[in-house]
Amino acid sequence: MRKRATLVIAGIAAAMGTLSAFGIAAPAQSAAERPRWDTRVFSRVPNPGYPAFVYAHPNGRVYAGSYTNPKGDSVRSRVFEWTAGGTLQRSWTVPGQDLSQAHGVQVATSDARGRLVLLEKSTSRALMLDPRTGRFTRYATFRDLPACGADGGKGCSPSVLDKPAIPNFAAWGRNGELYVTDYGQAVIWRVPPGGGKARVWLADRRLDGVEFGTTGMLLAPGRRALLVTQQTSAGLGEANTTTGKLYRIPIRSGRPAGMRLMWESLPGELPDGFGVARSGRIYVANAGLTAQIVVLGPDGEELERFPETPVTGENGSEIPFDTPSSATFLGRRILVANQSFLGTGENHAVLDVAVNERGRPTFIPRSAGRSR
Amino acid sequence: MVSTGSTTGTAGSTTVSRRGLLGGMTLGAGVLTGNLARPAEATTRQGGLPRRVDVVVVGGGLSGLVAARRVASAGRSVLVLEARDRVGGRILNHNLRSGAVIESGGAFVGPTQDHLLALAKELGVKTFKQYAVGDNVYVSNGQATRYQGTVPPDPLILPDAAQLITRINEMSKEVPVDAPWAAPKAQEWDATSFHEWVEENSVNPGVRNLLLSYLQPTFGSDGRDMSLLFLLWYIAQSGNERNHGTFERSSDTSGGAQDSRFVGGSGLIPQRLARRLGDIVALDAAVRRIEQRSDRVVVTSDRGSVTAKRVIVATPPATALSMDWFPFLPPKKMQLLQRMPMGQLMKCDAVYRTPFWRKDGLTGMGVCDSGAVRISFDNSPADASVGVLLAFIGGSTWERYGVRSRAARRTAVLEGFAKVVGPEALNPIEYVEHDWTHERWTMGGPVALLGTGTTTSFGHTIRRPFRRVHWAGTETSTYWSGYMDGAVRAGDRAAREVLELL
Repeated sequence: MRKRATLVIAGIAAAMGTLSAFGIAAPAQSAAERPRWDTRVFSRVPNPGYPAFVYAHPNGRVYAGSYTNPKGDSVRSRVFEWTAGGTLQRSWTVPGQDLSQAHGVQVATSDARGRLVLLEKSTSRALMLDPRTGRFTRYATFRDLPACGADGGKGCSPSVLDKPAIPNFAAWGRNGELYVTDYGQAVIWRVPPGGGKARVWLADRRLDGVEFGTTGMLLAPGRRALLVTQQTSAGLGEANTTTGKLYRIPIRSGRPAGMRLMWESLPGELPDGFGVARSGRIYVANAGLTAQIVVLGPDGEELERFPETPVTGENGSEIPFDTPSSATFLGRRILVANQSFLGTGENHAVLDVAVNERGRPTFIPRSAGRSR
Repeated sequence: MVSTGSTTGTAGSTTVSRRGLLGGMTLGAGVLTGNLARPAEATTRQGGLPRRVDVVVVGGGLSGLVAARRVASAGRSVLVLEARDRVGGRILNHNLRSGAVIESGGAFVGPTQDHLLALAKELGVKTFKQYAVGDNVYVSNGQATRYQGTVPPDPLILPDAAQLITRINEMSKEVPVDAPWAAPKAQEWDATSFHEWVEENSVNPGVRNLLLSYLQPTFGSDGRDMSLLFLLWYIAQSGNERNHGTFERSSDTSGGAQDSRFVGGSGLIPQRLARRLGDIVALDAAVRRIEQRSDRVVVTSDRGSVTAKRVIVATPPATALSMDWFPFLPPKKMQLLQRMPMGQLMKCDAVYRTPFWRKDGLTGMGVCDSGAVRISFDNSPADASVGVLLAFIGGSTWERYGVRSRAARRTAVLEGFAKVVGPEALNPIEYVEHDWTHERWTMGGPVALLGTGTTTSFGHTIRRPFRRVHWAGTETSTYWSGYMDGAVRAGDRAAREVLELL
């Protein structure tokens, strides 16, 4: 998503210098392993580029969609498929997009039948793509809610500005319901099992962003809460609206039970997609100015950053972090979608970063994608 | 410059033998698993075929064999039907009288062709560097000039060539390797032939002539019958997921697509692969009909009919059209296949007692502005037990020399070699040639060409499965299409497609 902050935050680089050495021992390294943080190019992403998330499918393959070109284009988005080794296999062109609008697609997750769940921006839809047949089907729609300001109200988004629904990241709930973040509106959606019209599951002014809204989402370990990243905050009256956040939102009896702030980013960091290791550590991709991967403890304590030097994105590979937008576990590495939002197609890539610990598998209930 | 590189064989058949049936059953039981390292068994040339397998692969070229290997490794039964009496498709070793081996088909391998290199390593086929020590020779207007590098240092041509190459490289970056029809300027670039584009964007006619030394061996074409978009895509896909394709990687010897060759010839790769697959590879089994029913596919070959759950067609595009399809191919797929003619190419090799040009400080690579030899290479075996010079005769040069008598062509080729390395080239101890346009099951080489309008109108069907039929073959690859590496990639991809549906 248009995630790279154009804001200039005074002194941010200096501030980052103080955060580079939170001491926690990196996971033990076996003889054959790459050093932790060894970064390689998994694959460049062909045009139309702009990968914003990478999905590691239980079938062993890797998928990413092409997201929005900020300069505008009339090229339909595509979904790419790679092997786990980074060999490009196939691609599919997304049907039914409104090419007069900003358009793009995220491969958010997959259902119990292996179909990919795609979140499409221009039409505010969730689609299913069966990679075995190439067939697309509509799964859910997301409404354009009126803005009702920070005080909120029924049937509206507690947003300062009126923006359309932009489904962004998704996570399955225990009963086959699909939770979806909205990058434009201050809500989290719930798609009923089997698909259909999404309903507002949570409306909260803390989910309202200054252009850059709610992004990553995963079901927390224990499957009783959602973890959600927020890139900026519009309606909280904060001195600096560009501070990103990680929230924990417990689910009780299928309903949200509050929002707990777990971590705050530095200004302009724009935390985006993230992955959770088996150890409980959370790897957050900061798509903003610092262009780093931040490692948080299970409780949100900041432990480590890579690369240590912020802003440059220099990671040792031939492609620097340039709007790194997600951190998806694949074996003992994370795959980072390098969106290069304001940069060049040369940097549109999926990067492979060794972290030498395994991630928690994506939760996909047996009922995912099936009607009850 | 250059390489004939693609593979894919063809289909082919007769009766159903007990041995073949058992072979299929054995595979189904999962014996052929892991690295397939079981005792070598011969491919079959006669006898029956199993009545029923999980997957039939049509075509025993490299792509088909790789597909079969992956399917078998997954514990599924598979049968390869190959029309010829050999495997390898466009890969073909030739045994010289001296006992040395050269390639009459795809030969070279280079950086970023990781899939082919990995397969060769697994099969114990080593590589050696293409001989590139010394000077190349540029022959223009009868004058021979020594030079180093890719482009001959003709002051009248060099600036024009440089700007063309720069533009080609930049434009190719806009072309998605997986979907060239989706390039922002796809319609515009697909509306003109590469030849027309060069005419409009170059100043010196000499550069157009020089380009033939790249186009003819690489495509078997002068560029008139392929669109600008196709050329740009071909450049874009001359790399891998981590490295953009470039004109240089496509055309260069050192560091390029012609960087290295295989000890013992590239033909060892399909041969060893087929040996590992054993009697699931049926030769002389041309496929005549593919009939899709609701729950199965019946493949009829010269050696009998086989029923399969899925079929992988790993033949050159035109060969797929020669089969009887039921139901008929989807219109756009058929249109695509009809619009993918093979280039026109032959390889001519002259054999000498020694690679005598080496002692003169020559690489053996020559670029000529006229004659039968537009480009030559040192094609000597790894141990240089004999010296071999290779000429590619493609496109309009093939139209002129390919139709001549063998004796007349031999004379023209040797005269061409003599311009490059001196008169000693006129007296070889052996002369070998192979015309791929005469190959019934390939119909040309090295690769199928897409003319104007084809990619944007029909290209999207290139890999799209047709019910239970999936497509392999180097032409369907997203990288190094037209090369052996593309064949490996495509076979592997098609097998994965099929496996997830079984």
